[in-house]
Amino acid sequence: MDVSEQQVGRVWVVTARGRLDGATSGQFAQRVEALITGNEPRLLVDFSGIDFVSSAGLRVVLALVKKVKAGRGALALCGVQPAVREVLEITGFAGMIDIHPERTAALTALS
Amino acid sequence: MARFTADITPHPEAIGRLADDVSDFLRGAGVDARAVHHVALVIEEILTNVATHGGCPDLPATIALEVRQDRVSGEIGDQGRSFDPRTAPTPDIDAPIDERQIGGLGLHLVKHLTSALEYRSDGTQNWTTFCIPRT
Repeated sequence: MDVSEQQVGRVWVVTARGRLDGATSGQFAQRVEALITGNEPRLLVDFSGIDFVSSAGLRVVLALVKKVKAGRGALALCGVQPAVREVLEITGFAGMIDIHPERTAALTALS
Repeated sequence: MARFTADITPHPEAIGRLADDVSDFLRGAGVDARAVHHVALVIEEILTNVATHGGCPDLPATIALEVRQDRVSGEIGDQGRSFDPRTAPTPDIDAPIDERQIGGLGLHLVKHLTSALEYRSDGTQNWTTFCIPRT
């Protein structure tokens, strides 16, 4: 999995490519959690390059959601591929995370 | 009818490589992207469950897939403790964020994404079979 991050105003934008699964989720979590240590963190994860998410990946996403909420911040996803979107819906994650089709709209919502 | 078989020791890295191989095989057989993803996901979740709850992360498991006109059929054989995935409890997917538990989501996905899910034990091996519809 390739992960990169950039700051756009107050928002950390994380772009990841590849599989978010039992083999990669630990590395992803470590990288992203380091970005949301302060108060009111704002995090956008661009999922357009993520072509696979398993329950191990969901575990990490849930941990990020809880950490951001505890810091009174906000988290959103964008660019979620259809099969991954289906996974988020079946597990109820689509109902607790803001999901935007495109990055621009997500940044506007988080800023 | 295209067929795929593999043996695997279900460690996370090996499961990831197997999922890549399965995805390449299914795409090559003309299977749609949704079914490719979901077959790889069901295999990962079942094997992860075998490794974490079956008590045999170091014993090899077998995978067999068949691509049919309207579906992909799969069979996973493992040597872990007997466990019927159909009996796994349903997690509360509507719980508030603070109370949300991650446990059980893997088999919840397996039950939702498969059009058929069967399990049997022959005394030494567990056999989990499943179908994922093609679109």
